Amino acid sequence: MKWLKLTRTFKEGWHNFRRNGWLTFATVTVIVVSLYILSMTAIIGVASYAALTNVQSRVNISMYFNPEVSQQDIFTIKSDLEKYQEVKSIRYVSRDDALKEFLETEGDDPAITQALTEIGENPLLASLVIQAQKPEQYDTIDRALAQASFRDKISRINYGKNKEIIDRLQGVLRMMRAVGLALGLVFTFIAILITFNTIRISMYAHRQEFEVMRLVGASNMYVRMPSVFEGVFYGFFAALVTMIFLGVSAYAVNAFTRGVLQQSSLSFYGHYFFFIFIGVIVIGVTLGVVSSFIAIRRYLERN
Amino acid sequence: MKNMIRFEHVTKSYPGDFVALQDVDFTIEKGEFVSLVGQSGAGKSTLLKLIYAEEQPTEGRVYFNGRPLDEIKKKHLPFFRRNIGTVFQDFKLLPQKTVFENVAYVLEVYGNTTEEINDQVPKILEIVGLEAQMEKYPKQLSGGEQQRVSLARALIHRPKVIIADEPTGNLDPISTWDIVQLLLKINDFGTPIILATHNKGIVDKISRRVIVLDRGRIVRDHKKGKYAL
Repeated sequence: MKWLKLTRTFKEGWHNFRRNGWLTFATVTVIVVSLYILSMTAIIGVASYAALTNVQSRVNISMYFNPEVSQQDIFTIKSDLEKYQEVKSIRYVSRDDALKEFLETEGDDPAITQALTEIGENPLLASLVIQAQKPEQYDTIDRALAQASFRDKISRINYGKNKEIIDRLQGVLRMMRAVGLALGLVFTFIAILITFNTIRISMYAHRQEFEVMRLVGASNMYVRMPSVFEGVFYGFFAALVTMIFLGVSAYAVNAFTRGVLQQSSLSFYGHYFFFIFIGVIVIGVTLGVVSSFIAIRRYLERN
Repeated sequence: MKNMIRFEHVTKSYPGDFVALQDVDFTIEKGEFVSLVGQSGAGKSTLLKLIYAEEQPTEGRVYFNGRPLDEIKKKHLPFFRRNIGTVFQDFKLLPQKTVFENVAYVLEVYGNTTEEINDQVPKILEIVGLEAQMEKYPKQLSGGEQQRVSLARALIHRPKVIIADEPTGNLDPISTWDIVQLLLKINDFGTPIILATHNKGIVDKISRRVIVLDRGRIVRDHKKGKYAL
């Protein structure tokens, strides 16, 4: 009996969804817009967070040693520094490594390779690349290095140079996150409001059915279920369409994001496809069902 | 216990001192055919709404089969309404369902099996003479045919009483008489009928009990009445 009513109300909901033509189209469109705005806000939020952590992980202090300092000495200094809890990792870059890395990034430029051959020897210095546990600890480490006992062996420390630009970037990203969060909340609210109103209109279109249902003695649950299922369909189909739009958007900005972010937008979309898909469906269906559930209340037996 | 419906000094007033019914007191027995007449605004529809518990009286009590309606819990009201079949002036058919589906809908709501539905719906449509129109949609039917669908829907679950609120209000004289004939036939099978109407012709012709309402009061109640205000 329960099962019979469930399948009947499910079919009824499906029929309402299909038979309503324009109203269904309008409702799904509105939910698609809502979902699109919501997921774009969320994705931009996630991407800017990823960019921020990416920038933070690139921050480091490079300490270059004078050419005459031996590798042995550098290793001693390295193991001394590793004892500090603020230090997350230290990477040793020998002069040869430095040259290799340099040629990898700049080797295409004939002027540079020519300059290097003219010098005849490796002009680069060996260095220790230090990463801190937290970004705010770099200042402490920088100050400690400037006063260290081995400071006469150091040629230069290139933290100060990057510091300003990193600080600015961090500021911008923090602001982006705050603005994104605020906008996301506002958009979420608007999306819920619009969806709710649209579904209310489509419920209004069914008011005659609700009246008949009441007259023939349908229980509140039986009156409610078809609309709830209808809400499920709105949400589900809106989610499918939203996924297509998100894919198209990812494709459109793909060339732009490549290089700027660690992951291009298309590969991000592909990589997290199921995660995004499930999220969008859950939000879409919830929006549809909750809106239907509330919108139908006025047509039920008033208590 | 022959009392089907009992109104016990019922008054219904709405906010703003509008009194729709005042001290209405009467009894309808099983098997009766009662015509309820009166001008627009006399309180006919309010009286009917009190029977199917769409409204609650301000004072007094309404009994159905000896049971006071105010004691029914709100969530049980749908189940109580299954005792009553209703027919309205505007038919209230669902335009997107066929004749068959409109009638079957009631049984679907009650949880009858598909076999029962396929068995009972054609039978009831045959009684109202629409067995050939089962697959049509309401807008393909005449007003009289639509009202017969609505009557079939009111009958399909074998209610204990039929309430008809101006069922012939939108119909031509021939269809009107068709519907009245059907109501009389249903009544012959033992189902009480309460018919609210403006139509003097049919009230006079059927010559059954007539209750006359005027500005919320019962002004006349005759066993074999005529239409008179």
